[in-house]
Amino acid sequence: MRITCPYCGARDAQEFGYLGDANPQRPDGMDATEAAMHDYVHLRDNPAGRHRELWYHGAGCHAWLVVTRDTRTHAIEAVEVARKTKAGAAA
Amino acid sequence: MADATTAIWAPRSAWAGILHEGHIGLAGSTSITIAARDGLGIASLIAPAAGEAALAEAVKAAFGLDLPATPAIARAGHHAAVWAGPGQWLLLAETRSGFSDALQALSGVAAVAEQSSGRAALRLSGPRIRDALAKGCMLDLHPVAFPVGMAALTSIAHIGVHLWRAQDCPEGAVFEIMVARSFAGSFWSWLSASVAEFGCDIVASGASIGRG
Amino acid sequence: MSTQASNKQPCRLGSGGVIDRTQTRSFRFDGKRYEGYAGDTLASALLANGIRLVGRSFKYHRPRGILSAGPEEPNALVELRAGARREPNTRATVAELYHGLEARSQNRWPSLAFDLLSVNGLVSPALVAGFYYKTFMWPASFWEKLYEPLIRRAAGLGRAAGHEDPDHYEKAFAFCDLLVIGGGPAGLSAALAAGRSGARVILCDEDFRLGGRLLTEKREIDARAGSEWIADALAELASMPDVTIMPRSTVYGVYDHGIYGVVERVSDHLPVPSAHQPRQRAWRINARRAILAAGAIERPIVFAGNDTPGVMLAGAVRAYLNRYGVLPGRQAVVFTTGDDGWATARDLAAAGASVSAIVDPRREIDSALTLLAGKIGARVITGVVASASGGRALRSITVREASGREHSIPCDLLAVSNGWNPTLHLTSHQNTRPVWDESIHAFVPDALPAGLAVAGSAAGRLSLAQALEDGARLGAEAASACGFTPRAEMQPPKTDPESLGLSPVWRVKGGKGKAFVDFQNDVTDGDIELAAREGFKPVEHLKRYTTLGMATDQGKTSNIAGLAIMAEQTAKTIPQTGTTIFRPPYTPVAIGALAGHHRARDFRPTRLSPTHDWSREQGAVFVEAGPWLRAQYYPRPGESDWLTTVNREVRAVRSTVGICDVSTLGKIDIQGADAAEFLERVYINGWKALPVGKARYGLMLREDGFVMDDGTTSRLSETHFLMTTTTANAGKVMQHLEFCHQVLWPDLDVAMVSVSEQWAQASIAGPKARAVLQGVVDPQHDLSNEAFPYLAARAVTVGGGLPARLFRISFSGELAYELAVPAEQGEAMMRALMAAGAEHGITPYGTEALGVMRIEKGHVAGNELSGQTTARDLGLGKMMSSKKDYVGRLMAKRAALVEADRPIFVGFRPVNRSERLRAGAHFIGIGKAATMENDEGYMTSVAYSPHLGHWMGLGLLRNGQARIGERVRAFDPVRNGDIEVEICNPVFLDPEGARLHG
Repeated sequence: MRITCPYCGARDAQEFGYLGDANPQRPDGMDATEAAMHDYVHLRDNPAGRHRELWYHGAGCHAWLVVTRDTRTHAIEAVEVARKTKAGAAA
Repeated sequence: MADATTAIWAPRSAWAGILHEGHIGLAGSTSITIAARDGLGIASLIAPAAGEAALAEAVKAAFGLDLPATPAIARAGHHAAVWAGPGQWLLLAETRSGFSDALQALSGVAAVAEQSSGRAALRLSGPRIRDALAKGCMLDLHPVAFPVGMAALTSIAHIGVHLWRAQDCPEGAVFEIMVARSFAGSFWSWLSASVAEFGCDIVASGASIGRG
Repeated sequence: MSTQASNKQPCRLGSGGVIDRTQTRSFRFDGKRYEGYAGDTLASALLANGIRLVGRSFKYHRPRGILSAGPEEPNALVELRAGARREPNTRATVAELYHGLEARSQNRWPSLAFDLLSVNGLVSPALVAGFYYKTFMWPASFWEKLYEPLIRRAAGLGRAAGHEDPDHYEKAFAFCDLLVIGGGPAGLSAALAAGRSGARVILCDEDFRLGGRLLTEKREIDARAGSEWIADALAELASMPDVTIMPRSTVYGVYDHGIYGVVERVSDHLPVPSAHQPRQRAWRINARRAILAAGAIERPIVFAGNDTPGVMLAGAVRAYLNRYGVLPGRQAVVFTTGDDGWATARDLAAAGASVSAIVDPRREIDSALTLLAGKIGARVITGVVASASGGRALRSITVREASGREHSIPCDLLAVSNGWNPTLHLTSHQNTRPVWDESIHAFVPDALPAGLAVAGSAAGRLSLAQALEDGARLGAEAASACGFTPRAEMQPPKTDPESLGLSPVWRVKGGKGKAFVDFQNDVTDGDIELAAREGFKPVEHLKRYTTLGMATDQGKTSNIAGLAIMAEQTAKTIPQTGTTIFRPPYTPVAIGALAGHHRARDFRPTRLSPTHDWSREQGAVFVEAGPWLRAQYYPRPGESDWLTTVNREVRAVRSTVGICDVSTLGKIDIQGADAAEFLERVYINGWKALPVGKARYGLMLREDGFVMDDGTTSRLSETHFLMTTTTANAGKVMQHLEFCHQVLWPDLDVAMVSVSEQWAQASIAGPKARAVLQGVVDPQHDLSNEAFPYLAARAVTVGGGLPARLFRISFSGELAYELAVPAEQGEAMMRALMAAGAEHGITPYGTEALGVMRIEKGHVAGNELSGQTTARDLGLGKMMSSKKDYVGRLMAKRAALVEADRPIFVGFRPVNRSERLRAGAHFIGIGKAATMENDEGYMTSVAYSPHLGHWMGLGLLRNGQARIGERVRAFDPVRNGDIEVEICNPVFLDPEGARLHG
């Protein structure tokens, strides 16, 4: 696969690390219930199709990215900078 | 500083014991030339939140450099600035002398961290250098895709590198490349194997950053 | 042309072909010396020498010859080269002949001509489809002892070298606008069209000579010989600077987003690689567009004895005649179901062979063809070949005429033609299936990987005219798609006429003997019928039950016949029966090529500390720590074992002073107005109140509540911190911090960058540490206990004004400091410290001594930070702040993670102090059985303490903290250990910390 980093341009997927679903938002640890935090840490959808997911350009500019990818075809629809989208998935 | 003390504390090049002047690979042919780039002043600059413009101004005032907004290298006088990630640059100086003091001009407008000692840099040139780099570099270094002045952070042989195309000479492209110091030996293991078929001269350093 | 029976190459034609008769190549096959020419393959050279028996088959040890002239070859597999370079299962049909080539037939014993295990053919009822599943099922113990060795002896395909590969391999990356796969007429046309527009083109061909089928056929383009057209095309392509021609390069796989895997056989045509050349190079080609112009593969016909040496594909016969100048037989019969086979009869006759018959089941034959038959004196028989016989060499065939009458014809060559399958393998690598095209009776590409187009025969457009036209059109289209302007349409070249009529026959029933579908895996038509009878009808079941198409040739010549027979058995059509999907690689790829430079020491990069060479000078033994090599201990002459050395190093630190390189720790520079706030959120403990100039121990969790890493972090100014991480987790922590900053809290004003490489760092530990430092740090810095107390962290200078940082932190429990200088002065720092400490007997120590001392002090390290421990488990629960949110805070409080019964960090010592402890031993209650139910935890770290005079251990024990003073068993079945240990406080030495603060 090739992923087009918004900063660095099209790069081989070997340069990136994968984290997973970009949608879950981290609840505030002081206010959240244990159940909400559990959902955030552990529960993930596994869609066949369009998926927003977090990738890390570790061998490049170190940017965390939100990649919208079709899990069936690997076609990439969009690559955004996580910092600007407030993605928020689990550490 | 007493001379004797200075002698004890003489810096040791990242390439010491690794790079030796002379010829390697195919005998009777030199299609690639490699020179160590020792003694550079290097510092990482990171702009604070919403502080890129102020940093750019300060860099312009102190060094006459325009910070590149994209992966590229900008040069002015004895200094250069290379894009090193969003809101991040490496400031390069030809020499160390006065470098730490010069960095003071940026305190308050950037997170400054000196890295002069932490990078091992090489200057690579010759008609076959692109062919040698292709054995590990996953980037298209053809001039239409990677023109003079362009820079990139990428990885070669599982080692993170920072490289830029410094210049195009009649003898081919000139690239400068930096790896983290601890990887110098492993990087050389890959590079020396990759240049061998073309024949390669290893020469003393001397040229200035980004120039022939 | 005429046959000229030279003594040396009795079947070599006197002229013709694209071999160089002035360049002799001598080679050995099964130890005997032969000669061929430059431009030969091993197969063509063997045939030129009259060698037809080349190997024995996989299961039945049947004699086998040469079926094809290309990469599809299922029979002529040999061991190439000798010694460490020996390579089994090499296809003789693609092995380029070189001087001194050495090949051996495989799978025969004791010799090729006389093979004892061909008796397998006689007991063949036991070896039918599914025999693995049936015969060898019972009893289970027989499998290892009897069946497997037996099968390994009897079945197999050559022997691996068994030595380390002496050659070098490379990887390489390339980029282009257009990748052309195949250098035949379609591929060359495509490359020309795109190249002329200025596009960057790479053309790969698996062959060593470009031209494809045009090399093997007597064809004309624009009224000139095909060879001239090829030469012109190659010359024009060579003149284009952005066109790269890669012969000997197989495109083996199609991957996402225009990535193509290619293996270039740089040196396989040489006895050994030239100086500084790899044997092979694995390319990863990034192409915006690609054109598959891989041609087609001819299909055999299934009939009894169709594997007899001398039965050959008709197109291969033409290749040997026209490309290699070899006459594969003198008395030939052609068995064809289409017009194409008749060209073989023509070319054989022209080369001087006698063609006694052309057997074609079709009732309607083009009159031009029958006229040709008359001209060459070949009898035309409307019928089929029912069987071939002769054992090690074809002697005769039995023809069954339409009337059913059978008769025998003597011959030494049977050329078989049954139509062509497009070489479409690459089109299905992205999980798309081909579709059946009734007009050519073959599967053709349907849905294609993005960016890939298919030209000529590979698309099922089998004529030369179509190949040239497709190539030119698709090449221009690809160039346009990449933003180039193709030159104005040029008139496609004119070709001589060809006829392509075909009515395939998949098998001929009723012959005497075995009829093979898959030659390489010895699958017969009977096996497929058996699979149908036993219910293995779907194509994927058929494949696995019979092993059809599962050999290294991946069924290139067998899949369609197998499907056709299954279709017949189940009264379906071939498209209804389906087809399997081809996966990479198209042909076998050596693992060495995929590994490239990265093997042995270069398997992964090694990181060396800035003090590495100094440590080596001191005689250090190094140990791998993640990617790093660290000094493990520094043996001195006379020290016979590592424990003696380590004990000396520990004693030196505890009694006077030692130095240890700690440069490998991760160092992260963290700055910004919100830097302290950021640390609050990633560490469990508090940071805002940390004074400038002070260091603090910090512990960070993963969001699931388990410990991620630990280290000391120092405050250099209000807005500037320096974090240290463990050596092993440095990269992981950096990634985690960047995640926290960029994804979780992008609004925080904080900047972080790794400075691990910038600083060399040494620990100076022991009662004399301060005295040593005073000889190195510039005198204006007051290092007294009052001025520079425990956990002080400040910038200092050394050597008369050189920048350095000094931290008073201790892992050993002694008075200790860490001094950091720029990495290029790391060695100088070690020498300066050694010089300053000489009068105190300063001793370098390594990671072993460091480990002993941290265990003596009960500090956790990598063994305890296992990813399964919480702060509470490690006795660090008190550090967890209740006043703030931080990563892992909530999840660490889950009920199961705060149970009293969880394994908790404690110390252990042997009840009998002379006994040795072992890390990994499990704790079992005294008197209880060593079962999983009674497992109470395990020993994480052990060391011999020279100070205490016995072994000590750290470990995780159920409710451990409450059980101090009790005893348990440390049960270690791996090393037969089972001893009683006392549970104790994990701090074995100086629990008050008097030494630390001295």
